[in-house]
Amino acid sequence: MQVEKFYYDNKIVKAFGYATIVFGVVGMLVGLWVAIQIYYPAISLNWAPTTFGRLRPLHTNAIIFAFVGNASFAGIYYSLQRLCKTRMWSDRLSWVHFWGWQLIIVAAAITLPLGLSNGAEYAELIWPIDIAIALVWVIFGINMFATIIVRRERHLYVAIWFYIATWVTVALLHIVRSIELPYSATGSYSWFAGVQDALVQWWYGHNAVAFFLTTPVLGLMYYFLPKAANRPVYSYRLSIIHFWALIFIYIWAGPHHLLYTSLPDWAQSLGTVFSIMLIAPSWGGMLNGLFTLRGAWDKVREDPVLKFMVVAITCYGMSTFEGPLLSLKSINAISHFTDWTIGHVHIGGLGWNGFLAFAILYYMIPKMWGTNLYSKKMATNHFWLGTIGIILYAVPMYWAGFEQSLMWKAFTPEGQLKFQFLETVTNIKPFYILRSIGGALYLVGAFIMVYNLYKTIRQGKFISNEAAEAPPLVKETSPKKEYWHRILERKPVTMLVVSLVLVAIGGIIEIIPTFLVKSNVPTIASVKPYTPLELQGRDIYVREGCYTCHSQMVRPFRDEVARYAPNPGDGGYSKAGEFVYDHPFQWGSKRTGPDLAREGGRQTDKWHYMHMYDPRLVSPGSLMPRYIWLLDNKLDTSTTPAKIRAMRTLGVPYPSGYDKIANRDLMTQAQIIADNLKKEKIETAPNAEIVAVIAYLQRLGRDIKEEVKNQPITENK
Amino acid sequence: MLSLKHIKTKMKVLLLGGFLLLFFAQPVWAAGPPAESPFNNPLAVVLVILMALLLIIIGILANILVGAADIKLKKKKNKTVVQVTMLIFLLLISGSPLFAQDTGNNGNSAAKTIGGMQSSTFYIMATVIFLELLVIIGLLLNIRVLLKQEKEKLSPEMVEEIKIAKSSRLTWWDKFNKLRPVTQESELDLGHDYDGIRELNNRLPPWWLYGFYFTILFAAVYLWRYHVSHTAPLSGEEYTRSVESAQLKVQEYLKKKGENINENTVVLLTDKADLDAGKELFTNGACAGCHGKDGSGMVMGQPGVGPNLTDDYWINGGSIKSVFTTIKYGGRPNKGMQAWENTYSAKQIAQLASYVKSLIGTNPAVHKTADGELYKEETTVKPVADSAKSKTDSIKTKTDKQP
Repeated sequence: MQVEKFYYDNKIVKAFGYATIVFGVVGMLVGLWVAIQIYYPAISLNWAPTTFGRLRPLHTNAIIFAFVGNASFAGIYYSLQRLCKTRMWSDRLSWVHFWGWQLIIVAAAITLPLGLSNGAEYAELIWPIDIAIALVWVIFGINMFATIIVRRERHLYVAIWFYIATWVTVALLHIVRSIELPYSATGSYSWFAGVQDALVQWWYGHNAVAFFLTTPVLGLMYYFLPKAANRPVYSYRLSIIHFWALIFIYIWAGPHHLLYTSLPDWAQSLGTVFSIMLIAPSWGGMLNGLFTLRGAWDKVREDPVLKFMVVAITCYGMSTFEGPLLSLKSINAISHFTDWTIGHVHIGGLGWNGFLAFAILYYMIPKMWGTNLYSKKMATNHFWLGTIGIILYAVPMYWAGFEQSLMWKAFTPEGQLKFQFLETVTNIKPFYILRSIGGALYLVGAFIMVYNLYKTIRQGKFISNEAAEAPPLVKETSPKKEYWHRILERKPVTMLVVSLVLVAIGGIIEIIPTFLVKSNVPTIASVKPYTPLELQGRDIYVREGCYTCHSQMVRPFRDEVARYAPNPGDGGYSKAGEFVYDHPFQWGSKRTGPDLAREGGRQTDKWHYMHMYDPRLVSPGSLMPRYIWLLDNKLDTSTTPAKIRAMRTLGVPYPSGYDKIANRDLMTQAQIIADNLKKEKIETAPNAEIVAVIAYLQRLGRDIKEEVKNQPITENK
Repeated sequence: MLSLKHIKTKMKVLLLGGFLLLFFAQPVWAAGPPAESPFNNPLAVVLVILMALLLIIIGILANILVGAADIKLKKKKNKTVVQVTMLIFLLLISGSPLFAQDTGNNGNSAAKTIGGMQSSTFYIMATVIFLELLVIIGLLLNIRVLLKQEKEKLSPEMVEEIKIAKSSRLTWWDKFNKLRPVTQESELDLGHDYDGIRELNNRLPPWWLYGFYFTILFAAVYLWRYHVSHTAPLSGEEYTRSVESAQLKVQEYLKKKGENINENTVVLLTDKADLDAGKELFTNGACAGCHGKDGSGMVMGQPGVGPNLTDDYWINGGSIKSVFTTIKYGGRPNKGMQAWENTYSAKQIAQLASYVKSLIGTNPAVHKTADGELYKEETTVKPVADSAKSKTDSIKTKTDKQP
């Protein structure tokens, strides 16, 4: 048969590889910065764009979408061509994908510090960027599928199965999470509210981990590990079972982020059991990776690429075992809202994603420059620094989380809470300091890598088009009988459809009933829409990223009710019906500061004013940054009518035509608050942003308190 | 000579024994009224885990024994062992909700507990563990005997062969994972070639596969318990229970300690120790944030949120009882002074109130202007406000009302 000659496109891989390095370092730097802010708030520079609430989304988005995203694309473009024995279908689409993606990242790096945010974790980017992401993702998909279609290899290798599942699921997740109603060029409200928004959010958020940080990276592992170790993949059978089980089960596990919240119990239980069932499929990937190294462990001792991979895969195994454990209610009751979760995700992020990205960079770059790695010793040092960094990061976080949770839950024998919230925070400050040292070590390791790779590139010569040859695929006249899965591996489109159906099942079964079954979100009569001023204040709350440190969810625990809703009239723990007008929901996932679900009426307007000016004035030792600009910024009331109209469209029952008079109500309420402050000798303009924020904070939990007042208290069943 | 058949029967009997024990034990546990989840008792949890672990070991040993014994028997036998093991797992799990339940209704059962468990339950679980240990010893003995026999049967040539084979010998780890020696790899090669990557067709590690089945089983039992049989509490119920049991504990403690200060019984404390404790709480606790460290109402040179406490003017009354009430339940609604009864004990609130009273007349140089009504100790004590009175019966009333 005639052998065809063709060239692999290394240039696009190089571009994505460089982007990985640049954004990786930037993302980690921002991470280190916010880690220091937590114990040293002054380093926020008292400047809005660099406060924790705005930089934390920048850190997460940079690491997920810029660092791991670019690393995945680099690895996919490298491996896909070689596994399909063809060049990428269209160089032009490759470059549109590359530049489109980098522009999105730059746009994110500008908008997030400006406070332009949707207020949903890992989906903070505003709607125009959401659209751009969808478009670029489709371009990537077209290019990938066309490449698969024109391949010279009859069967699809397991890495490509993972790439296909990644593409189709991320598309689905991104589109559903981004259903939002714009009210301006940069602002929008989530289509979903309260409990439903929470469910959609964590269905998305959890599966961003699954299908953006796990499946593509598993695909990379399946290509680069056997290549680097020069060993056959341990078990084809295991690949099949763990792949299909993984993508089917993963999608269900989202609600484990919402245990003990107002989410209906049945959905919480589904989240728990599917997380438990996920252990084996996840570990299938780990086993297939580690057992592939059988007979090559002597190489691991020498080769830094394999060293990184072994730790990466081990971290993958650890965090996919820990995750299901954290999904058990008894453990979640301790871990949730604490730094335990932060430690957990960083085992995955630093260990699995980071180390695997480093491994493939160390593998691909010498190959593409036709040389050897400049210094194996330096890479080994990077490996050890990184490993120690991970340990120094994770252990203090576990400890801090566990200790803080126990302090939250501690009561004196007389039945009083043993610790004030602030005490539980200042107590774990040493762990925060240790954590930032761990992170710094990891970052130093990354810098060593940058130098090492730079030297490697300098000593080699880049092969932008790598020659290869393979016979073309010809239609078989009489296809031989094959194992059923082998037949599927010939059909990429069927594979795509089957993957889509499998991942759609879990989402549909969990999400649809919370919309259709009324009893899932029992209404509370006294819960009313926010006033225009409160709505504006809420949008500022979202803008400043308050949800990155404050929860709005009193869970049904004795300590939380005693701490956040202590009086009989406070309404007890949070109920689903309280959040029906919350577009988006703001339950949060971390309590670096106290819960705010019942904040309304707990403090005076003056207290809030002083607290925003300098938190340490009213609560000494507080770790919250100062929000001085809220005192000076003028509220932009021109957006009020559009916001009210958008809310009306989303089903919030403002009277028709209210958008026209909303600003009148807004000013009346603002004047009351300003007068109130004046009585306390604080002069403030009624149209200062702080007034709107105070209005919002004083509203939180008020409705449920009204409800308790209106109704005779009955025994809860 | 021990025949394979013999081992087989023996094992069956042992496993069956365990199975029967569980089967008959169940009705005993099931006899009592439903109680709260046994998973609240750490001892019970440890025992259950121990039982499960031992079962896993039994399963593995049985597998090894059978594997080592005869290849002919392997197919048939393997299945039986696995089935029996699985069955026991199943029973263990379905039985577990009942572990903590009452065995006898004879009234004095409360006395017969070991580590918070019903003594009978404890003994039954201990027996199961003991029997499991016996099974393990039996299995180990059998494996040893069997291996010895096999060795005796060997001819010198075979010994040589074994030596060669030793290079590709399987360790317990290999067996545990059903790994084939690397030297036999070519038999497993599927002939796939993707950019030089080959694929083997190794079997799934058994523990992985059965672990997967186990998690599926766990899922079914979990959903069943929470949503069908309702033997496990949903969040709301769990909350009610935890609050109730905590209340009982607090009441018991207070009764024992005899400390029952409330706004009707509180008196001004003049002891230096008490006042120092009050001062400590005031200056380093939350009070100073609003009232200033010296109680002047000035925080960092600015008028604070709270009023001056060093003058004779009081917003919520200046008697020791009024001050106690204000600290305990908070001041006027939405004016900043929150309720502190969940933060400080009654004793601490009394110390705080006494310390605050001791501040009167200290005349700090910089202070906030007076607020509230004039109150002098000589005048008759104002009655405590009605709203506060209704709250008097401290903890019990309060938590009862909580939804």
